[in-house]
Amino acid sequence: MNQADVSKLVSKLRIRVPAEPRKLRNIKGPEGRIDKLRKTVTGLIKYERIELNSNRGQEARQYAERLISEAIRHGDCHKPTMDIADYWLLEKELIHKLFKVLVPRFQDSNTCYTRLLNAPRIIHSRNPDKVILELKGNPYPVLGSNKMNNRFLIQNVLLDAAKYDYRQAKYAEFAKKIVNKEEKIDTTETEAPSIEKQQSDDKLTQS
Amino acid sequence: MMNRLWKIVDLVKHMERHFMNNFFGHPPKELAAIYVHQTYSKTAPTKKYSLKDLIGDGYLMAVPKFRRTVEKRWKRKFGSPDYVWKMIVPNKNIKVCQECGHHHELGRLCENCYKRIENETKLIKDKIVEKLGNSPIDKEVVILYENEAPEQKSEFWNGKRIVEMKKERPSWFSKNLLQKSTQEPSDSKDVKPIDLA
Ligand SMILES: [Zn+2]
Repeated sequence: MNQADVSKLVSKLRIRVPAEPRKLRNIKGPEGRIDKLRKTVTGLIKYERIELNSNRGQEARQYAERLISEAIRHGDCHKPTMDIADYWLLEKELIHKLFKVLVPRFQDSNTCYTRLLNAPRIIHSRNPDKVILELKGNPYPVLGSNKMNNRFLIQNVLLDAAKYDYRQAKYAEFAKKIVNKEEKIDTTETEAPSIEKQQSDDKLTQS
Repeated sequence: MMNRLWKIVDLVKHMERHFMNNFFGHPPKELAAIYVHQTYSKTAPTKKYSLKDLIGDGYLMAVPKFRRTVEKRWKRKFGSPDYVWKMIVPNKNIKVCQECGHHHELGRLCENCYKRIENETKLIKDKIVEKLGNSPIDKEVVILYENEAPEQKSEFWNGKRIVEMKKERPSWFSKNLLQKSTQEPSDSKDVKPIDLA
């Protein structure tokens, strides 16, 4: 705790930011684009899980990440951060949520604060691709948690251990059986050749 | 393409003959190996040929003028593998969902599972909005289903907003087991680093 986490000293987004921004077509141009993104970021902070068109979701995610990381870095006593929060959150009661709920939630996390998942689509349809954008640690049921094949899932670890024990027991059993068999064979074989040897010895003496 | 080219070549040849004959006249008849003089017997003038006799009441439709090459025909029929490939090809990005067994596209959520979760999410969302409304949200929200309240210690609820769902917890919606049930003791001697950057 007393040592600084180096990764937290530098302000850096934990998601990949593409070189070119996505297009968000709008009548108002760049201004309308920012308006759209503000609405989306506000919605994300408010509802914690929203479904969007792909471009809009991917673009809004970057701004939401930046907003949360700034809030974590500077806290609520920093004037520029407060201004940023005031600009990006259209509903002002969400500023409280940002600093009082989300900052404590994400303070110690080492990964990004949001999750972006591809929504199912009808194959060969011409609808735009949808994505689901959510804040981590939300109260909703988990989406896309397919951990059944994960080796480190506790059930899988336990099953592996049980399998290992079972195999070890079986191997021991087999080894015991084989040893018993060999002993039996040894006892029979040691008797049989001795008679032959005696006979051959007799033959040798007779000749 | 080639058809049209030959057409143009023919045209040029025709033009050449035409001009040569006009300007320099016909070649002398002595150059011809055999000259046969023919006189056509005068017959009764034939009736002038007219297209109307052929068509009558019908009409003419457009017909192909030139032969389409094999390449073009095949391209139309099967498409091009580099651009638009019209043949039926197996779709290899379909997976079976581990949880419900329905099929879904690779890299996307399973539609069946997502529909189920989406409905539940919508219910929870509505409940939260109904309960908290427009008041400033300053506490973490906890969802409680029926018959779940007594399981936790009383200190667990400190600093949390409880939203109760008036129904049983769905069997597929597991509880978050990683949630801390108690707060950290306040008498720890650890000091958080400040002013590092
Ligand atoms: Zn499924």
